[in-house]
Amino acid sequence: MVTLAIAKQTLEDMLRRKILLVLLIIAVGMIALGPSVGFLSPRESSAVLRSLGLAVILLAGLLITILSGIQVIPTEIERRTIYTVLSKPVQRYEFVLGKFLGGIFTVFVMIAAMGVVFLSVLAWQEKRFDPEMLKGVVLTFFQMTLLGALAIFFSTFATPVVNFFLSFGLFIVGNLSSVTDSLISNKNPATRIMANAVHYIIPNFGNFNLQNKLIHPSVEISNANVFIVQNIVYAVIYSAVLLLLAILVFDKREV
Amino acid sequence: MAAAVSIQGLTKKYLDVWNKAEITAVDNLNLEVNEGEIFGFLGRNGAGKTTTIKMLLGLIFPTSGSATVLGKPVGDTDAKAQISYLPEEAYFYESMTGWDCMDFYGRLFRIPEPQRSKRIQKALEDVFLDPKAWRRPLRGYSKGMRQRIGIAQALINDPKLLFLDEPTSGLDPIAHRELRDIIVNVGKQGKTVFLSSHQLPDVELVCSRVAIIHQGKLLASGTIQDLTTGDTVEISADRVSESLAGRIRGVVPAAELVGQRLHISAADPSKVNDVVDLIRGGGATLLSVKPHKRMLEDVFVDVVMNEGGA
Repeated sequence: MVTLAIAKQTLEDMLRRKILLVLLIIAVGMIALGPSVGFLSPRESSAVLRSLGLAVILLAGLLITILSGIQVIPTEIERRTIYTVLSKPVQRYEFVLGKFLGGIFTVFVMIAAMGVVFLSVLAWQEKRFDPEMLKGVVLTFFQMTLLGALAIFFSTFATPVVNFFLSFGLFIVGNLSSVTDSLISNKNPATRIMANAVHYIIPNFGNFNLQNKLIHPSVEISNANVFIVQNIVYAVIYSAVLLLLAILVFDKREV
Repeated sequence: MAAAVSIQGLTKKYLDVWNKAEITAVDNLNLEVNEGEIFGFLGRNGAGKTTTIKMLLGLIFPTSGSATVLGKPVGDTDAKAQISYLPEEAYFYESMTGWDCMDFYGRLFRIPEPQRSKRIQKALEDVFLDPKAWRRPLRGYSKGMRQRIGIAQALINDPKLLFLDEPTSGLDPIAHRELRDIIVNVGKQGKTVFLSSHQLPDVELVCSRVAIIHQGKLLASGTIQDLTTGDTVEISADRVSESLAGRIRGVVPAAELVGQRLHISAADPSKVNDVVDLIRGGGATLLSVKPHKRMLEDVFVDVVMNEGGA
């Protein structure tokens, strides 16, 4: 009850932030205007819309997640609202979980709104509904869930500016999983150790990117559904570990 | 009487920005607050009042020492369910309405419906918040209305112990008086109030006992009466002749005769009987003999200045 009350308050607070609403409006506008690129053939136009839609959802989701994640706890401390919350019979883990869930509900609402517009526009242009594209949107949401957990973890000890660069930087590095994967077999032992560390410690954000397959149906992924479920399980477990670490750090933090 | 708050050797030290020199915010504080009393915690800005309260609420952690609140260690969830806190310059979630804000805090206390709604209504009525404002966003509230919401959220759990940090600072005179009356009413309900303030006239009116803290150290504590009762006596008499006044001045040189009325202040208590005997024996009328009462403000200034707090 307490965790959900904090999550609900966080969601309502986030949904009133103008910066997030502006991002959502721009993203939805870009997706909706996708079919108006009139000089392309229908097939090219469809590929552009698929590519543009997923890219816009990823980019807007990334900004919304980072802006939400880096702010939820520091804002409470800065505004001193945290005093009236933690002085009540609220455990610190309930506060961290509530803030995380509120942030993730926000990301869910935003991605869902963009996803509905994207799938509707695509269905209107192609005159059919393609459920495969929904998988791409769902994976983007779980990718953002993992990123949100990372940002919440950093927010328990880092300032929002430092957190922004840490979260954004690790998202970039975590997207280079194919590069680090190839470096693991490098002959240089130092490179191998470094590549292993990056590959196994930093969240593997690259595995969530299904754009290539979804835009170009000729690209095949063996056992695609298993791959998707594996990634969702990976996001859930990795997020749980990050939240556990966040709770341990926040438990010792003075506010 | 049981202790609502018991503090033993509580100390809080901070490192400076270079992580070297220590700043001692609270220094080996020992204090007991009895159940059912309104206790004034006095000190200048930066004296360590808020730091102490935050340690008692588990928001920050002591460097050494310990404390219990309602007989339980600091941070105990059962104890927290029976205490409440109004921070200095409390900020709330601006987009929430007054009612929604109260509902949120009611949920944090795990108060189920319909009890929660009843408690919200009662708390808002107890702080005299205009019902028209209940459903308006807090961002449109005046400072006085915010303080009322602050006190209302501190009452929603029907607490045994309230920590109020500067609840009346920055309010206009009417709101100030109303808030002060609310605190008095809370005290009359048998609740313990830990009132941190430097509004000394308020403290003198509402508190039964006070402690004065300066640079983290406890300088004085006691009942208001003990602290403000001076060691001088005021004596008034009527129909005092010049010759009688002369004899009295032989005992107390500061005796002042206005017409036939004599006023003696700052008299040495050991000489009171001599002066009274002279007045009665000299045919004058003794009007009053009363111990001189100092203002709490004077006591505070003396205590702090004697400690080098200029």
